[in-house]
Amino acid sequence: MSGLIITPRRLSGTTANWTMGASLHSALSTETNIIANWLDELRRPSSASVTPTTEGQSLERRVFDALADAKVSTSKVAMHLERDLRDRLFRQLDSLHETDQWEEDDEPLNHASFQTFLKAILTIRPARRPGLGLSHTGNLIAAWTTARDRLTIEFLPNDRVSWVLARYDDTDEPARFAGQTNVSELVEGLAPHRPDHWFSHASKSHEPSQ
Amino acid sequence: MSEQPYKQPPITEAVIELRFATAIEADDITKVSAALKPLYPLQQPIRGIEVRLNVPPPGQQGVTAAHETHGSRLSTEDQTQIVLAWPAQFVFSQLAPYPGWDVFFERFCRDWAAWKRTLGYRKITRIGVRYINRIDIPATAPIIEHEEYLNIYPHMPTELQSLMAYSVVAQLPLPDIGCILTLNSSSAPSQLLGHAAFIVDQDIGKDDDPPQSDEEIYALLNQIRVKKNEVFEACITPRARELFKPCQV
Repeated sequence: MSGLIITPRRLSGTTANWTMGASLHSALSTETNIIANWLDELRRPSSASVTPTTEGQSLERRVFDALADAKVSTSKVAMHLERDLRDRLFRQLDSLHETDQWEEDDEPLNHASFQTFLKAILTIRPARRPGLGLSHTGNLIAAWTTARDRLTIEFLPNDRVSWVLARYDDTDEPARFAGQTNVSELVEGLAPHRPDHWFSHASKSHEPSQ
Repeated sequence: MSEQPYKQPPITEAVIELRFATAIEADDITKVSAALKPLYPLQQPIRGIEVRLNVPPPGQQGVTAAHETHGSRLSTEDQTQIVLAWPAQFVFSQLAPYPGWDVFFERFCRDWAAWKRTLGYRKITRIGVRYINRIDIPATAPIIEHEEYLNIYPHMPTELQSLMAYSVVAQLPLPDIGCILTLNSSSAPSQLLGHAAFIVDQDIGKDDDPPQSDEEIYALLNQIRVKKNEVFEACITPRARELFKPCQV
């Protein structure tokens, strides 16, 4: 068996956009280019990848595109998501993008941030759903609150996450912790802080649900 | 009613495509988009550009030809049900979660009826069905033995082992239903942490004298449906089936 090595290295695109000597087209013979084109034809893009034209970049248009991208991205992992989680997520995203409450320089959801969020949520699988917000640059922010204790995670592009938590533990002065890691190390990073305090329903009795 | 074999089918996209002998006008795309608006409230213009570049021998002039087409992308609020109305194509798509063939096919019949009611009969030159599956395999070791999950993958010489990525494409006839299968399998970037992903993408189409009546079109689509299930099952192993949570064990 040859197996496939799982590598953290980023490959150059996906196999779907590999082409035969893509950078060498002009140097290849006509026959070679015909073969290469024929192979490319066999690897047709899917209809979901047909993106609308981006004529005009009004806020309304950017919001529409951001929401559409997020929902299409969610569909790619929908087989691993509970239906109610997906429905609730879409309602939250729609609500976040009601632009009548926006400041002029607010940005809609950053697609790369949302992809980081999906990876995190499918790994953590929190029983309690987070409240969601957007940073002014369009990064998605998830927050869990239990009594006065709060965990906030900002999902950054390129699989990075930034988190901050505050725990009171029966004192008036909270202990605060923060970190920034790759999303694949988020669970490990939060582990010393007993994240089930926020993620599990056992903690919910302390706090009205979000 | 047909049964869904899996609780978590790995289908990321299911597509039915009809191609026509003649292109419809921009006005017709507007009409059909309006007719489908109650079903697909989100509508956006789309543009396809085909560029043909002929690289000539030295001293001769090259020829470049660009052809631009305009269409409309219609979708539901959750973006899982999509219709692409192109001048010479009607593309009907379902993203995950896949609701099963019966629901998918019923939706196709409904929308195809609306298309024809609006634009009338057009000669069909190709009928195709495409199913893209992504198989997410938990990476419990640094090396994923994809052969334990798939029956389609590149055969490598013993000197060349441990692939980082691959893609294989095969085209073969399906004489019993008069179609051609294009089968594409590849590794893919995983959407899940700690997983490796593999694509099994099949396109079954009939270019040669495709049926024109609704009855015959629907009969062909149901034949293709049976065949695509057979092809998929042939491409995976029992270990892969376990990942999709079979409905009946």
